[in-house]
Amino acid sequence: MQIFLRQVRPIFLEESKITNSEVWDKTLQFNKGEHLHIIAPSGSGKTSLIHFLYGIRKDYTGSILYDSFDITNFDAGRFSGWRQKHLSIVFQDLRLFPEHSVLQNIEIKRSLNPFHSENKIAEMADRLGIASKLDVKCSTCSYGEQQRIAIVRALQQPFDFLLLDEPFSHLDENNRQKAMELMEEESSLRNATIILADLREIEYFKHERKVHL
Amino acid sequence: MKLNFATIVPFLSNDLSKRSRLISYLGLGIGVFILLCSLQMYINLNELLKDKSAPKAGADFLSVTKLITNENMGKNNSFSPADINLLKNQPFIEAAAPLISNQFRVKASAGNIIPFSTDLFLESVDEAFIDTVPPDFKWEQGQVDVPIIFSSDFMEMYNVFAPSQDLPQLSEKTMSSVNIILECYTPFGVKNFRARIVALSDRINSVLVPHNFLTWANKNFGGVSNVNASRVYIKTKDANNPDLINFLESNGLRVNKDKTKFGRVKKVLQGVVTGIGSFGLLVVILSLVLFSFYLQLMIAKSKDNLQLLLLLGFSPQWLGKTMTKKWLPVYAFISLAALLCVCIFQFAFQRFLAQAGQQLSIWVHWSIILLAMALFVLSMITNYRLIRKLLMRL
Repeated sequence: MQIFLRQVRPIFLEESKITNSEVWDKTLQFNKGEHLHIIAPSGSGKTSLIHFLYGIRKDYTGSILYDSFDITNFDAGRFSGWRQKHLSIVFQDLRLFPEHSVLQNIEIKRSLNPFHSENKIAEMADRLGIASKLDVKCSTCSYGEQQRIAIVRALQQPFDFLLLDEPFSHLDENNRQKAMELMEEESSLRNATIILADLREIEYFKHERKVHL
Repeated sequence: MKLNFATIVPFLSNDLSKRSRLISYLGLGIGVFILLCSLQMYINLNELLKDKSAPKAGADFLSVTKLITNENMGKNNSFSPADINLLKNQPFIEAAAPLISNQFRVKASAGNIIPFSTDLFLESVDEAFIDTVPPDFKWEQGQVDVPIIFSSDFMEMYNVFAPSQDLPQLSEKTMSSVNIILECYTPFGVKNFRARIVALSDRINSVLVPHNFLTWANKNFGGVSNVNASRVYIKTKDANNPDLINFLESNGLRVNKDKTKFGRVKKVLQGVVTGIGSFGLLVVILSLVLFSFYLQLMIAKSKDNLQLLLLLGFSPQWLGKTMTKKWLPVYAFISLAALLCVCIFQFAFQRFLAQAGQQLSIWVHWSIILLAMALFVLSMITNYRLIRKLLMRL
């Protein structure tokens, strides 16, 4: 799978931010397998870009294509097919089910299109230090723990693109490193692309391309 | 974990009134039962009245006249060729033939043997409509003898009234041997014909003469070539067909009510059964609407979770199908329970009729099972479409 951006301009962003951007209003191509680091300060549209790529928001001009398909006219049904097989995401605001257990939060994603066996959840949770939290309610976990839950959840399905929106904002150095290693391993298994958007450069992320928004 | 309704059920709100859901189930069950029962009763009704409406000779013959009311009294109430064509074109009327009457004065007397004289009317109709047509029911121009087919009812009336007038009662055989003198009043004086009753008709209450005689006489004695009929005989497979009765009533036509008695009873009962059926349908619709409120409430209360499921990659189609499947056993049970109740009802009704000597099938008609299945499928499709629509809106 490839993703193409053709002159994408958020309709809410001021002109100066668009003019100086290496992404907005440009033609870009994201290929399968490459690791891309998007670095930008707050308010430059990082989350918006990730949401545009995942198809959650459509408040932009220009077009985004999954392979040869323009996603502008995709409905929820059409997106679901791509999200089950080709795209996975860690949201900046995590989007977990707060009233359900950690395991339920991860398992619901795995059940949709399992890439790993059920045992793998415990193994990943153990690696990221949240194994003891699997049976507790998600809302009782700290934000840092919730970030790790969201990361484990994103790794349960097959994907060609892993979209990460400030996934380590509440993690300490040690946990950041572990989480990055896990995600790079998992993306190698699938020969997948990682698009990581963050405020500053993540030193553990082995990226081929760096883009300033 | 296998992906099914159990996967998503923890993410759907269960903080909803069970009562409204149970009421909608109960309502649906009652509605389906009433609807199925009405259809079964409709079929029973047709079955029970079939024997009574089947004509012995394979067809019913009915005399149709225009209804005389205070409004149309004194106006021309005869049938034009267009009126007759309209009758012929109805699917429930096999054939229609006008009865032409005499357009000149006729008097009949029986000579010295029976001192009886009366003004008379003559009519002619297509021979295919007469139940008894002997070979000698023929007339040719110049012939003085005119054959007559006489109504059995008229003969019966004569025999009732004869003794009080000192007239002899007559048997069918004697009647045919009586020479009747037909005095036809023409512009050129009275012209006499010798008439003889060649047959009696149970079907047609009239004094029938050959068609060519009346046409000739009307032209030569009455000066009228084209005579409009004042009544028409129709041939129909079922005189009790409600469509026929409706047609006649809506066109201001009158028939012998006794012949269409069962048809009228059937029509009223069909109306009652249709009314009950419509009520059943209304209950079904209201139940589905009530259940749709329940679904809307459930989806609204689970909105955040459902939105997130869609974001994670669950398709609205899959969610719609899966959530609909959840109620499949419930709806199947409701349909089967209603069907079972109809079977019990039919059994009880059959036993009740058997005591009154009426025959009816103990089994429900196949169309009832088909309707139950159709209602079940309809409920499932309605629910699926609603859930999918609501999910698409999230």
